[in-house]
Amino acid sequence: MGRIIGGVGSSHAPTFGTVWDKGQQHEPMWAPLFDGYVPVRHWLEALRPDLFIIVYNDHMNRFFLDAYPTFAIGAAEMYQQADEGWGKRNLPDMKGDVHFSWHLARSLVEDEFDPTMCQEMSIDHGVMSFMPMLSDTRWPVPIVPIAVNVIQHPLPTARRLFKLGHALRRAVETYPKDVRVVVMGTGGLSHQLHGPNFGVVNQDWDNEFLDRLESDPEPLTALSHSDYMERGGTEGIEVINWLPMRSSLGKTVKRVARTYHAPLITGYGVLALEPA
Amino acid sequence: MDQQVAGTPVFTGERAHAGYRLNRFAMSMTDAANRARFVADEAGYMRERGLNEAEIDLVRRRDWKAIGEAGCSIYLLIKIAGAVGQNLLQVGAHTKGITLEQFMATRKGH
Repeated sequence: MGRIIGGVGSSHAPTFGTVWDKGQQHEPMWAPLFDGYVPVRHWLEALRPDLFIIVYNDHMNRFFLDAYPTFAIGAAEMYQQADEGWGKRNLPDMKGDVHFSWHLARSLVEDEFDPTMCQEMSIDHGVMSFMPMLSDTRWPVPIVPIAVNVIQHPLPTARRLFKLGHALRRAVETYPKDVRVVVMGTGGLSHQLHGPNFGVVNQDWDNEFLDRLESDPEPLTALSHSDYMERGGTEGIEVINWLPMRSSLGKTVKRVARTYHAPLITGYGVLALEPA
Repeated sequence: MDQQVAGTPVFTGERAHAGYRLNRFAMSMTDAANRARFVADEAGYMRERGLNEAEIDLVRRRDWKAIGEAGCSIYLLIKIAGAVGQNLLQVGAHTKGITLEQFMATRKGH
């Protein structure tokens, strides 16, 4: 039987990669954010999980509007980095866990989730941007990526994503091997990338979301997409990807680390939790 | 469905439908060879991709605001902008109706 031993919520952004690759993570604009990932990385290295389940979103790199899946799960031995339109970063492919992916598919379908299963699934900055801040880039821990449609409306509801976390937990706990899993949820926090409110960040809402996610997450599922977008921007809706991470951990959690920083046009955050 | 949040259009399926040709052209920018062909002959490449003359003109004028309003996803729009050497801050400021310099002046203290 498998076990979920931790959860990580994180923002993702192409900027993370640019800053990291240029070695600017210690500059005053970025240090408050990048320093916040250091204790999370140390905690993960001490935990030594067998697998990361990563609930993220693609940004029109692997998936396009010709056939856009609501939930898509990787079932590949290796996950290549996508070219997002400006070439790839110098990072190796990430390794998968095909057996776990297909177990997850069976378990989720039994739970009335019906994912698109992908034997080829390039991954974009939705995964690749923050992972070098949390792991050796030889990628010692295999991943199972779960891509959620948070771009082309209608989107899955916050409640649906909360239930996904419960289903992830059932899948882990019915796995025949003693796999120790960390669940990640990534997106957000507040950002508005176009239109009259371009660049608007809502620090109050971001911190309220982090508070409530940790201590009392279920009421967050009562918020509509409009509620989320009015608070955190039309692109900030990505933050619903954090809900399955949180619900997979059970009712009560212990905080390991939390950081928030909003240097320019996005509220960035990282939150690490353990089941309590 | 023309849903808006605080004056910002929400990227609905209907908008994705309206902007499908622009979006599909933008998606092709994820391939380095396509980027090179586009940069070498912008109008020719876009015609080959099935864009109409009005859409080609929007790209020629770098009218990011109008391209977005025509149904191009912001995530695809920045691929077109990237291919011609512009970044998200330039695109975002344009869709807001201001220059990059004006936008950056609002970021002081951030």
